[in-house]
Amino acid sequence: MTTTNSLASLEDKIAFINGQCGENDDFSMRPFHVFGRHPAVLFCFSNMVDPSMLNKDILKAVMYLPPHLANEDIPPERLEHVLVNDVLYYSLARLEKKPAKWIDGLIRGQSVLVVEGVKDAIVLETRHIEKRGIEQPATEQVIRGPREGFIEPLGTNLSLIRYRLQSPDLRINMMEIGRRTQSSVAVCYIEGLTNPDLVAEVKKRLSNIDTDIILDTGYLEQFIEDNHISPFPQVQNTERPDKVVANLAEGRVAILVDGSPLALIVPTVFSQFYQTVEDYTERFLLMSAVRMARLVALMFSLVFPSLYVAIISFNPELIPTEFAVAVAGGRAGVPFPAVVEVLIMEISMEVLREATIRLPQQVGGALSIVGVLVIGQAAVAAGFASPITVVIIALTTIGSFATPAYNAALALRLLRFPLIFMAGIFGLYGVMIGLILIANHLLSLKSFGIPYLSPLVPGIFQGLKDLLIRGPLWWMNKRPGLLQTLDSERQNPKMVTPPRKTSKDILDPNKSMDEKER
Amino acid sequence: MEHPRSITAIQTASILVSTIIGVGVLPLPLFAVEAADSGGPLVTLVAVLLSFAGLSIITVLGMRFPHQSIVEYSEQVIGKWPAWIGSMLIIAFFAVLTSLTAREFGEVVVTSVLKKTPVEITVIVMLLLAAISTRNSIATFSYIHFFYFPLLLWPALFIVALSLKNADVLNLQPIWGNKPKDFLGGVITIAALLQGSFILTIVIPRMRRPEKAMISSLIGLTIAGGLYVIIVAATVSVFGAEEIKQLLWPTLELAKATSLPANVLERLDAAFLAVWVTAVFTTLLSSYFLTIYALRQLLRLQEHKMFAFFLLPFVFVMAMLPQNIVNMYDIIEIVGRIGLFLTIGYPALLLLVSILRGKRGKRHGESSSL
Repeated sequence: MTTTNSLASLEDKIAFINGQCGENDDFSMRPFHVFGRHPAVLFCFSNMVDPSMLNKDILKAVMYLPPHLANEDIPPERLEHVLVNDVLYYSLARLEKKPAKWIDGLIRGQSVLVVEGVKDAIVLETRHIEKRGIEQPATEQVIRGPREGFIEPLGTNLSLIRYRLQSPDLRINMMEIGRRTQSSVAVCYIEGLTNPDLVAEVKKRLSNIDTDIILDTGYLEQFIEDNHISPFPQVQNTERPDKVVANLAEGRVAILVDGSPLALIVPTVFSQFYQTVEDYTERFLLMSAVRMARLVALMFSLVFPSLYVAIISFNPELIPTEFAVAVAGGRAGVPFPAVVEVLIMEISMEVLREATIRLPQQVGGALSIVGVLVIGQAAVAAGFASPITVVIIALTTIGSFATPAYNAALALRLLRFPLIFMAGIFGLYGVMIGLILIANHLLSLKSFGIPYLSPLVPGIFQGLKDLLIRGPLWWMNKRPGLLQTLDSERQNPKMVTPPRKTSKDILDPNKSMDEKER
Repeated sequence: MEHPRSITAIQTASILVSTIIGVGVLPLPLFAVEAADSGGPLVTLVAVLLSFAGLSIITVLGMRFPHQSIVEYSEQVIGKWPAWIGSMLIIAFFAVLTSLTAREFGEVVVTSVLKKTPVEITVIVMLLLAAISTRNSIATFSYIHFFYFPLLLWPALFIVALSLKNADVLNLQPIWGNKPKDFLGGVITIAALLQGSFILTIVIPRMRRPEKAMISSLIGLTIAGGLYVIIVAATVSVFGAEEIKQLLWPTLELAKATSLPANVLERLDAAFLAVWVTAVFTTLLSSYFLTIYALRQLLRLQEHKMFAFFLLPFVFVMAMLPQNIVNMYDIIEIVGRIGLFLTIGYPALLLLVSILRGKRGKRHGESSSL
C-alpha cells in the first residue's frame, strides 16, 4: 500500500494523484506558491467544488503570508503547523496521512492541497453540488402539517431531521455502501430510547450488503427486508422529515442514502401504511373517522371486484331482486362471463394508470379524464362491459388511490387479480380462501421480529389506541411496546389527562357582569 | 431444548374457541334434537360440561408437565412403548378427524353453493389451505387463531340475533325434552364435536405462563360452549324440534331463514357459508397441526414443516372414503365416540398414573435442561 513515506517529495505526490485521477478532463491541478515561496499544488474535480470558495477562502489565504506572521521566517518543518493552525481560516480542513484517503476525498468533491516540505496533504471540504430547493413532498401532501420534504443531498436531509429533533441524543451514524458508488448511508436513531439491539441489527444487515451500486434507498430496502418474496412492503419509506422524527421518537430507526429523497423507517408494521401525518395534527375524532374511511378504501381496493364477480356469477340470490334484475339487464348485451369482463376492465385500468404516471404532467391530466370518460362510456356502449362493472372498477381504483402508502397500495392492487380468479372459479368460497391465504401470509410476516399485524395481533392494548382509531395524544402516553424501547413513557405520567381537567374558565362572562354591577 | 414461550393466556383461549367452533356447528342442532327433541339445548349444555371435564384433565396434566407436550410426558408416565402406542393413536385419530372435517365441509359447500363442483375439489382446496398454513411456527399458529377468533364469533351471533324475530319460546319447552330417547348418546355425539380442545396439549408447553392454562381453558370453553348452546336454542326456537329433524344442516337453514333489515342482502346462507370458511379453516388447521406436530415430536425431529405435504395424500384419501353424506355422518359419529376415549380417557389414565407414581414435570421458571 502506498503511504506518505513512499511519497516524500512533492513530485511523487503529484505523480501519485495524477496517476489515479489525471486521466479525467474535469480534473484540475493548480500549481502555485504558498506564501510566494513554497511550491504547492491544489487538486480538485472542478465541477464538484465551489470555485469562489476555493479562490477566496483557500487560495487567497495560503498565497499571502498573514499579517501577524509577516516578520517571521517560517522553516519548512513548521510549515504544516502554520498552514493548518494559523493560515487556513476554513473550518473543514484536516491533515491526511493516507494517500488512499486523498483520492477518496477528491472523488467526493473535496480538494487536496500538497505543499513542498509538508509530509501530509491537507484535505479541504469544498464540495458543492447543485441541488433543488426544499419543496412540498409530492407523494405525501397534507393539508395541515409541515410542508417540507427531503431532497437528494444527504447533508440537507440530515439537517432537516436535526432541526426538528434538537436533542443531543439523536445519533447519526454514517457508513459507505456500494463498491462503485460508495454511497453514504446514514443510520439515525435516538440514544437511550431506541433498542440498542435493533440498531445493531440494522447496522449488521446494512454492512452485509456488498453490491456495486446503491442509487436509492429502494436498493437498500430490498437487501434488509425480512421476507423477500412477499408482495407486502416490510420497510416504510417517506419523504417527510417530520414523519421520520415522529418515528424516531417512537423508537424506530431511520436510514437515509445520499442522493435519495426517501428515508427508510424500520421496523414497519402494516398499520403504518394507512396512517398519515395529518392523523396526528388534526382533531382526533375526525381523523379517526377518516382513518376508518381509509381502511374501507383499502378493503375496497382488494376485494370489491372479486366480490362482484362471485356474487354475479355464483350467488345472485344474495342481492335484492330489483338490483339483481338491473344488473342482469345491464349485462344483457355483454358476451363474456363476469370474470372475463372484470379482468379486461381491470387490466385496461392498470394500463391507463401506468400511462398517466409516465406521461408529462400537462398531458397526463388530460389523458386520465379522456381515458376514464371515453373508454368507460365507449366500453359500455360497445357492449363490452356492463355499466355496473365500470362502477365497480372505478370504486376499486379510487379505493387504491386513497391508501397513503404507494407500495402498500401496489401490493393490494396486485393481489386483487388472484382473488378475481378465485372468485371466477369458486365464487364466494374462493374469495374467502384467497383472503385467508393473504391473511395467513400477513400473520406470518415479521419486520425485525415484530409481527406485521401488530398491535392487532398479538393483541397489545396500548397499541389499539392508534390502530383503527387515532386516540387523543394525551391518551397515547406509552411508546409502542413491541419496539422494546428503553424508555416507554411518552409523557410525564403525572401530567393531568385530559388537559381540560386543570383549565379554568378565566373569561367567564359572569365575571364581567359581576364587576359592572359592583 | 427449551422453546421460546410466546403464547399468551388470551391467545390460548382464542385457539380453543376457534378450534372448537367449526363445521360441527352446522349439523349440531340436528344431533341435539335427535337425542332429546326440545331438550336439545340441555343436551348441548351437558355435553359442554362433559367436555369441560375432559379439558380440565388435559389442562391439569399440562400444568403438571409445563415443559412437555402429551407425546413427551406420556413416555415419562407410562413408559416408552405404551406411550408410543397412545401417541400413535392420537396422531391417527386427528388425521382422521382432519379428513372428516374437510370432507364434511366439502359436502356442505358442494350441496349448498357450488353445486356443479366435484366434492374432491372442495376437499383438496380446504386441505391445501390447512397444509400451507401449518408450515408456520406455533407462534404464527396462535396468531392465526387469535386473528380469526372475532371473525367467527360475530357472524354466528349475528345470525342468532337476527333470527330471534322468528323465534317462538314455546318450541323450547319442555326444556328436558319429550321422553328423551337417547339423551346420553346425544351428549356423547355433541361432546365429540368439542374434542378439538385437545390442541391444548401442545399449546401449554409454549405458553408464556402455563399456570394460567386453566383460566384460558375455562374462558375458551365457556365462549365456544356458550355459542353452541345459543345456536341450538335459537334453531330449536325458530324451527321447532320436529322440523329440525327434516333438515341436514339446521344452522345453515337458520341463516337461510333470516334476512338483513333494510334488505341489503336478501339471503344470508351463501354469505354465512363464506364467512364460515374461516371457522372451518381454523378447526382444520388445529387438527392438522396437532397431527403433524405430534408426529414430529414422536419421531424426535426438529421441524414439522415437511410433514405438512407428506401426510396430505393420506388425509385426502381418508376424506374420500365415505360413500355419501349419510355414510359420512355415520362414520363421524363412530369416530367421534372412539375419539372421546382417546381425548378424555387416555389423558385421564395418564393423570391417574402420574399421580400414583408421583411423576411431575419441572415447574415453569425452572430450567428444563437436565
